[in-house]
Amino acid sequence: MSPTVSQGAPMDPSGAAESLPRVQRLLPDTGMTPLDAILGELALAPLCLPFGEERMSFVVDAARSLSKIGRGMPETQALAFWMRKAEIIRLAESFAGLQSDEVLLMPRGTVFHIPPANVDTLFVYSWVLSILVGNRNIVRLSSRATSQANLIVSTLNSVLASHPGVKATTSMIAYGHDESITRTISASCDVRVIWGGDATVQAVRSVPLPPHATELTFPDRFSMAAISVSSYSALSPPERDRLAEDFFNDAYWFDQLGCSSARLIVWVGVEDASRYADDFHSRVRTVIRDKAYTVDTSIAISKVAQAYGTMIDAEVTGYSFYDNSMTVLDVAAFPDDRGSFCGAGFFYQLQVSDLSDITGDIRREDQTLSAFGFSPDSLRDFAVALLGRGIDRIVPFGQALQFNRIWDGHDLLQAFTRRVTITKSSRVVGQ
Amino acid sequence: MTDDASSGHSQADTLNELFARPQFSIPQPEKELLLEMELSKLVDLHRQQCGPYRRITDALPHRPSATLADLPYLPVSLFKSHLLSSIPDSQVFKIMTSSGTTGQAVSRVVLDRATADLQARALSSVMSHVLGKQRAPMVIIDTPNVVRERTSFSARGAGVLGMLPFGRHHFYALDDDMRLDVPGLCAYLEQHSGEQVFLFGFTYMVWKYFLQEIVASGTEVDLSLGVLVHSGGWKTLADESVGNMEFKAALWNATGLTRVHNFYGMVEQVGSVFVEGDDGWLYPPNFADVIIRNPITWAPAAIGEPGVVEVLSVLPRSYPGHILLTEDLGVVHGVGDPDTGWSGKKLEILGRVPRSELRGCSDTHAHDRIAS
Repeated sequence: MSPTVSQGAPMDPSGAAESLPRVQRLLPDTGMTPLDAILGELALAPLCLPFGEERMSFVVDAARSLSKIGRGMPETQALAFWMRKAEIIRLAESFAGLQSDEVLLMPRGTVFHIPPANVDTLFVYSWVLSILVGNRNIVRLSSRATSQANLIVSTLNSVLASHPGVKATTSMIAYGHDESITRTISASCDVRVIWGGDATVQAVRSVPLPPHATELTFPDRFSMAAISVSSYSALSPPERDRLAEDFFNDAYWFDQLGCSSARLIVWVGVEDASRYADDFHSRVRTVIRDKAYTVDTSIAISKVAQAYGTMIDAEVTGYSFYDNSMTVLDVAAFPDDRGSFCGAGFFYQLQVSDLSDITGDIRREDQTLSAFGFSPDSLRDFAVALLGRGIDRIVPFGQALQFNRIWDGHDLLQAFTRRVTITKSSRVVGQ
Repeated sequence: MTDDASSGHSQADTLNELFARPQFSIPQPEKELLLEMELSKLVDLHRQQCGPYRRITDALPHRPSATLADLPYLPVSLFKSHLLSSIPDSQVFKIMTSSGTTGQAVSRVVLDRATADLQARALSSVMSHVLGKQRAPMVIIDTPNVVRERTSFSARGAGVLGMLPFGRHHFYALDDDMRLDVPGLCAYLEQHSGEQVFLFGFTYMVWKYFLQEIVASGTEVDLSLGVLVHSGGWKTLADESVGNMEFKAALWNATGLTRVHNFYGMVEQVGSVFVEGDDGWLYPPNFADVIIRNPITWAPAAIGEPGVVEVLSVLPRSYPGHILLTEDLGVVHGVGDPDTGWSGKKLEILGRVPRSELRGCSDTHAHDRIAS
């Protein structure tokens, strides 16, 4: 028996005849559209081999357009930079390395992307990787999208106009609190990608997928930065300023709520780090001032509440409330505080004598370690000691938010493709 | 009265004085001295009795406290994330909870007998200032349902229940479907004609289910001898661009009601209600005060400068809720004249601090939750 997947009509578990749900389509055409029409069109769209000419040229064209509109929007510029031609070619080459005479990589079919509402650019990263390997895509966008996200969608729309072959393979839609729509789309997808918090992952996960479909989830994460005291002490003032600026970019871009933005600063070394820490804070504050970063009053109040709550729950040895944009809470031990977070410049700070001292504190939720001043060997030893228990990436300062096809331990390009193997017969086949 | 306040007052003395003197009568500088004395003692008391409070105040940079504004405040949301108690479990009389929409955390406020009694005495002394000593016939602008289910109290139910002792011959003006009982109301007012009538309700309900229905029904309702006390916030009315002026003007036009008092208070400081004076500003009672803080520097704001509302009250003894940073915006328009019967800071509440849209990877589409 083969599991049949409804490609057109929405499934209705109650069996009652209901009017077809309509969703707001944002791409390729805009307007309220019946969901079954969207899924029907998508089902007819052709798949193609990974890194086909047409799809690569679409991505490169889109990068060019995004880079034009991206002035003054660093997140869009970073996205455009990541999609630029050289990068796509590099991606294609490394992907080609996964294939051989005996292993072919094929698209999986239809990928349903559920990106977070509040990182304006993430939906594009997820979608572009899936486009490149030849899938059909349906992307659910937040109905409370920001102006930046809207601008990106309209730019993609105009680029798609000159790429009809790609246009038919993608739909971006928005809809409200309607689990039945998620259910219908899920029933006709081959891969579901859920970006976002634990609550979203759990809610969407309860919606069934076809038996063969796979799912990628990106739940809440916690990230940290580690600075070697001796390496920092050896830096010249301009080098320290550069480090502070990199740190600012890592931490403040998404109001410190990006999953890769550090919430904990670990000073590693035997020498007392406090004067270096003070020096670093003051340099970060200079960057905050230069970039005119400000914090809304409601967030400022929740930062105070978060600080006071931590004082109750953990051993707080110092409280530096510099101003609304930067709070540093010295803690005597690794803070077990990976839950709800205020963001907007709130840091735990800890000193240990060796990086291995925090090995025991690392948990599944811990994603990125931004490291400064450590030897490659010591970082490798740290990762090995963890045995995959936590920390999925170790990056230099300034690269915490840099998107990579390998994210949270998954290679997205591999996850968006299937492996078809051809085992050669040892028999000699006659002419 | 002793001449040397700092040494001569025992805790009971200061507190008794704040209760004994007529409400809204203490000149502001004198009041600040009394409160500073009493609140400093409360800081020490809660530091001794409440471990979490001690941990917080230990971690905060030490600041010599010379004025009320130097005393440490707690963000009010801390009562949602943590249970803060200054009494042994055996002395817990009840735990009050705030209202909150489903799924949101609620505040939990731990009361012992003594604090609950203080709250009741405080509310009573404020109410008698507004209503006089005699209990008046009382119209509750709500449905009797709101207090019927005593096991599952809403904040609205608790509010109504707290007010019932200040009136007599209770009449609920709304039926179970929130429809105004116009004939019943007219009959009740007829029965008590010539008497002062005490009306109580939540601001938006007074507006929507009472006033607008009276206007729509075209019935003549005479409330010229009424005293309306209302609370609950202006959010719904602000959405309709109705402010206090419009609210009072509409009541006067429709019913002749002139004595209208808005109340401002919170579950974390029950009893310390700010009362709207004759000039429309809110006044803190003797045992409470307000400080507006600049949301950038967090220093006390100047008169007329809007900021975040910090409320102070000498009532909370069983929990460290004596000094709280709220999530409300307000402005102080100077200090009232004791001779007018309204002494103390003139507070205007400007609404909640606007919630900003958070960015980041978490908090995505929580709307996939199966609708219940």
